[in-house]
Amino acid sequence: MRLTEWQCQVEAYLLGAEAAPAADLLDSLRGGPTLNAEDGMLIYYNAYRSRFKEVLREDYAVLLAWLGEDEFEQLLDDYLHSTRSDHFSLRWLGARLPAFIEQSGDGALAELAKVEWAFTLAFDAPQGEPLTLQDMATLPAEAWPALRLGLLPSVQWLNCRHNSMALWRTIKNEQDVPASAPLDNPAVCLIWRLDLVTRFRLLEPSEAWALDGMVHQGWTFAQLCEELGAFVEAPPVQAATWLKQWISEGLLQREG
Amino acid sequence: MAATPPFLGYGLGLRSAYYSEILEQRPPVDWFEVVSENYLVGGGKALYFLDAIGEQYPLVMHGVSLSIGGPHPLDRDYLQQLKQLTERVNPAWVSDHLCWSRGNAHQLHDLLPLPYTEESLEHVASRVRQVQDVLQRPLVLENVSSYVRTADSTFTEWEFLTALTEATGCELLLDVNNVYVSAFNHGFEPWDFISALPLDRVRQLHLAGHSDYGNCLIDTHDQPVCDPVWQLYQRTLERFGPVTTLLERDDHFPPLAELLEELLKARTLAATVLGKESLCA
Repeated sequence: MRLTEWQCQVEAYLLGAEAAPAADLLDSLRGGPTLNAEDGMLIYYNAYRSRFKEVLREDYAVLLAWLGEDEFEQLLDDYLHSTRSDHFSLRWLGARLPAFIEQSGDGALAELAKVEWAFTLAFDAPQGEPLTLQDMATLPAEAWPALRLGLLPSVQWLNCRHNSMALWRTIKNEQDVPASAPLDNPAVCLIWRLDLVTRFRLLEPSEAWALDGMVHQGWTFAQLCEELGAFVEAPPVQAATWLKQWISEGLLQREG
Repeated sequence: MAATPPFLGYGLGLRSAYYSEILEQRPPVDWFEVVSENYLVGGGKALYFLDAIGEQYPLVMHGVSLSIGGPHPLDRDYLQQLKQLTERVNPAWVSDHLCWSRGNAHQLHDLLPLPYTEESLEHVASRVRQVQDVLQRPLVLENVSSYVRTADSTFTEWEFLTALTEATGCELLLDVNNVYVSAFNHGFEPWDFISALPLDRVRQLHLAGHSDYGNCLIDTHDQPVCDPVWQLYQRTLERFGPVTTLLERDDHFPPLAELLEELLKARTLAATVLGKESLCA
């Protein structure tokens, strides 16, 4: 048998539903004195599954605590059957789990999974070039109106419709966990990394609107002030207050 | 190609469980081996500790995803990332495994054994040359633990490794525990493997623990090195002289002090076999 053909057979076996190797694959193998070829292949078959699940148990520890052992195990079995790994690193195995859960129609659970995955993304995202208060202090006055800002690579923007952040926080802190419930109003949650520590914060609606304008709609600082003019008496003061907070929290980099 | 790398002494695998302790206590470890894939990320804690520990200790990069014998074309993106990491880490050398870990369509995330045939040799040799061209240094390849062999193999594993070094100039990472595990599972004498390897191609040794399931041994890296593997290590040193040695632990992490004690056992054994000069990195 050609090398590639044999490897395709092994791959199909490892990813397949049947733990017993096909007869022609077995024919291509030799057992040892006490370990026969079928049991030898089973070691690889089981290792693939246990490695897959071990990674997801670590990446989704909150989801595991929320669902309980049996239900989480069933979720992993279903995910494992439907998912193939296409990245060299096991780190990315869980990337599609939130979407997989969403397909089943459980929006609240999918959102909790998104929150947990967002923490893994924030954890090892590139540093970017954080804007500092010192940068702002030395920014020439004429540069302020055209100032454009973006989120640093670690910042994950989540539009939450459920109390996922409360669930995540209480499970992490081993406190009494509230029931899953929809929020009265959808809220934006930011998850990011500052000084190697991951952080999160729910934004007030007005702040979320302003930050969305700056980092997603491409507003300049002058446009932010203009938009704010309809709602507040001193737009530059409010804009500068928010800007100072976002920069202090390590959320922003300069764009353009 | 780079100049011949030095004898580094006795090292440990760098694992996140020990990051802070290493920086705070500066343990008596000559060098650390880092799993390359753990650091092929954008930023964060892993890269922070890699840089900080790399300032204080020599490092070697050890990969698990090269899939040097795989059916799929070599992952150019992975290779470029690996090369960039070598520029950051400046490792004494770069190793991976003689195996395949990616199938024709998908990642399999395991160190799967190859048939040891002329066809495999040609296939792997061509890919080793491609990798060496990208990395601009000899690749160091490790023998894996295995649980099946193919019926059509025309080489033994050690003949295959030897032929591969001759064909490509690559070097070998001899995992003494893997030899022991595979020898048990396939019924050959471990010394037949080790004694047949070329004296001048073994760049590094691995020591690790395995699990004994009665009818088979599984390479779990989750417990101390067993006595027969220590004995095999001693014979290996007697044959090869001082070789850079690494103690691997990937699960059931004990306190660092326990690993240091086990590493001391390797040093002491080497000093007994080879004299005190073998302790100097």
